[in-house]
Amino acid sequence: MIRELRVLPPLAIARFGAAPTPMDNYDATVDPQRPLGYRFLRPAETLQVDPATGEIARTFVPSAVTFTENGLVRPVAPFLEVWALTDDDRLEPLTTDLLAAEGASVADLTWRVEVANRKVVRRTGDDADLVTADTGDVTDHVVHPLSGTCPNFWPGKAIPFGSVQFIRPTAAHPEIRLRFTPGRGFVYGASRTPPPAGPPADASVRDVVYDASRGSWQGYRDRGPLTTVPGQIYALDAQGASRGYLDDGCDGLVRVTLAVSGRNLSAFGRIGVGPPAYAPDGLPVRTVADELEQALLGPAPAPEEATLEQVEETVRRVFETVRLMNTAAMNVGGMAAHDVGEGRRREPIMARALVDTVALEQLHMSVLLALRSGSAPWFADVLRDHDEVGDLTDRGRRKMPALMRGADGRHLTLTRRQVALIRALVRGPVFPDADGAADGGTTR
Amino acid sequence: MLTAAPRAAAPPVDDSLELAGVLPARGPFLGPGPADAIGVDVPPEFNGHDYVVFLLRVAAEIEHSLMAQYLFAAYSLGGPSVPAEQAEAVRAWQETILGVAKEEMGHLITVQNLLTVLGAPRQFDRDDYPNVSPLYPFGFRLEPLSLESLAAYVCAESPPEWDDEEARRIKAKAQADTGDVVNRVGELFEQLISLVERPSVVPDSAFQARTVPFQATWDEWGRGYRQGQRGAEAMSSLDLPAPELVILPVGSRAEALTALRAVAEQGEGFETPPDENDSHFRRFLTVYRAFEALGDGVGDVVRPLARNPTTGDTDGGDAVDPDTPTTITHPEARLWGHLFNVRYRKLLTNLSHAFELADDPSDATTLTPRGALIHRTFSEMYNLRAIAGLMVRLPVSADEPDGPRAGPTFQMPYTLALPSAEADRWRVHRDLLDASDRLIAALRTASPSGDGPDYLAALAQWDDIERGHVEQLIAVPAPSPVPSPVPQP
Repeated sequence: MIRELRVLPPLAIARFGAAPTPMDNYDATVDPQRPLGYRFLRPAETLQVDPATGEIARTFVPSAVTFTENGLVRPVAPFLEVWALTDDDRLEPLTTDLLAAEGASVADLTWRVEVANRKVVRRTGDDADLVTADTGDVTDHVVHPLSGTCPNFWPGKAIPFGSVQFIRPTAAHPEIRLRFTPGRGFVYGASRTPPPAGPPADASVRDVVYDASRGSWQGYRDRGPLTTVPGQIYALDAQGASRGYLDDGCDGLVRVTLAVSGRNLSAFGRIGVGPPAYAPDGLPVRTVADELEQALLGPAPAPEEATLEQVEETVRRVFETVRLMNTAAMNVGGMAAHDVGEGRRREPIMARALVDTVALEQLHMSVLLALRSGSAPWFADVLRDHDEVGDLTDRGRRKMPALMRGADGRHLTLTRRQVALIRALVRGPVFPDADGAADGGTTR
Repeated sequence: MLTAAPRAAAPPVDDSLELAGVLPARGPFLGPGPADAIGVDVPPEFNGHDYVVFLLRVAAEIEHSLMAQYLFAAYSLGGPSVPAEQAEAVRAWQETILGVAKEEMGHLITVQNLLTVLGAPRQFDRDDYPNVSPLYPFGFRLEPLSLESLAAYVCAESPPEWDDEEARRIKAKAQADTGDVVNRVGELFEQLISLVERPSVVPDSAFQARTVPFQATWDEWGRGYRQGQRGAEAMSSLDLPAPELVILPVGSRAEALTALRAVAEQGEGFETPPDENDSHFRRFLTVYRAFEALGDGVGDVVRPLARNPTTGDTDGGDAVDPDTPTTITHPEARLWGHLFNVRYRKLLTNLSHAFELADDPSDATTLTPRGALIHRTFSEMYNLRAIAGLMVRLPVSADEPDGPRAGPTFQMPYTLALPSAEADRWRVHRDLLDASDRLIAALRTASPSGDGPDYLAALAQWDDIERGHVEQLIAVPAPSPVPSPVPQP
């Protein structure tokens, strides 16, 4: 018997794209023969949906990973699956067979997707600036647009946030899924007079939607406690005021309800949208996944949770991040400029000779190289602690990760959990205890 | 190297010159000469400046030697027989000694700065084993940590006033082990300070401030370790003081004296002020006392490494004799030893080459590969640590799989002199990459054990990346903004 439902993954992040065909599936993996190389992208099994029927038309492994189509970026359109927690504590995909065993069918399932774009309202504080889309109850398998409307929009105007589609289960694919296709990645504008028909005069915008004679977003300036750190992270006009731009990003909840045996079981997942992956063969040094892991598992892992493999992964992400940075410029701009307000006179963070990007990348690669020998990490002291983000001494500014800004406008740190995992290994033996001849190598 | 050739034919000590020299009866040149017009004793064949340069080069050799010996000793700690209840303490002793070795690296670099400001050739060389140089605090030995070797380290780093009952006991133990009185390193620096502070010995004109852009700074070499500043600060992982790297550029007599005093104080400080890290002397004494308390348990916390492991052929050798080299005959361990030596040479070549390229903050238009060389110097340190970790798990002898383990070889190359043309210097790097390449291939063919395959795959790739960079620099020699002020020998 089904006890509870789950929507998995609990958080799915789509990526903008204007191409009609969603991105194919792929894995980013490390080539064991080139362990210092960037991850290579291996095509993986992909589900192709027929938008007309809502069915999965076929599954295939593409011959190559292709990110664009006729010059347009292909969107990442995630699937959200419904899983069932049964009486025997098994978590398994909800399928038509499982539904039938409960005396239910696909017709007993209802989806509802509610999303919003809060970027304007979180600044202006005007509830009429909230852009929302709500599919209402979805029980069919047609494409449901997510049309973002807002009290302060011009009449009849909306921002397309993309769409959702309840995938019609088939004998070959009996699982219960919903697909979220995000917006195309366009910018929308504002005007004080009703926008004329035809393409907008501002070539940057897809459409003029915001009525600036009613809302305050166009011409808005940061003030008050809602100001972000750093401030003014939106498009500005020549006078330093907001141009009134909006985008077609959104986030929100995906709910599913199953009416079965007189009960209503429900679950929800979260969706959001991010920009396309322009460096898909690497990962940032600190990601939302690290935050979630810390929230879920705590900042202080048990010593046995720390493995050399995790440390290697962190170091790999460091050099994958470094390669994307203009470290020579960031050494004197970026945080160095930011620290001006804290009493540092735009002083370079590192010695000038050390910030060549290529040399820095190689240095970090060599750290990973040494770890491959099975010896323990040694660099715990150069990691910035969470309570050192405001240490603007030379030594403090040079701690790792360097030259990068955290969400609070201070120098970036790894999560406390990431740091603790590395430190746990530093406390252990420098070299593996077992002799080489009897040793199969360090567990990775 | 100063004392290397002719090693066997070192002139006999002139006993008549033993009265007041820096290291009495310790070398052919070090006895005092007749008091001269400048009011200090400078040996025959020297003037004041030249004598200071000589002593600085001796100091560089000593700091380099101590660093290698301390690293070997630190790497010998640990292993499968460490009792669980002592694992934390063993790890702390190991980190203490590694911290001292890192600080010796700082001393070595600061001494190069001193040589540079005096317009003298830098000295990255040192004596190899077997070695009984009278200039060193004790003969160069690579040996697993023991109460006896600790006694020698304590004595070498000790202050002059250390003379209580424990001092006499430890000195006796050190002398019994090394066969001679262990010289205090501090004595050499005291003599240097007394010479450098006198304009009559080293004139103002000898200090070439324009060399500062070629010198090493903490900013470039400090790597997040403390800047020799005061204020005790614990390491973030182990409850130990964080190492402080004394890396001081020198442009004047005052800065030279500051640097010499900082190096000397870090070594031999007797009483530790409450807000400062312990001196090397104090740290070694702490580990010595802990080892003394272990008694027969020392064997459990130290890996059974062969003494003075070498890839060279020797006349037999004895893995437990402190004064003879032990040839590594285990095929895989031997290849790792060769690779260790090549990477050690790469480290020293990078370090030496970095000093040839200026970083002049006043010239924002010219960038040199100096930064890449500095980073690669550290990368090679990581490699040495990695290879040492693989070697200490392998037997030294092909015939005794359960016998003594191999250890890092730290063999000096035939030369560290760099060519005068920049492109030729990069060709030296390429030569070393070629040598490394051959050894990596041989090791991969030999099916190494444990973590070896993973490490070798990564090392081969890393060398490929470096080779690409080196080839570019050979093809387009990096312009030198100003001529190197210090020609290399």
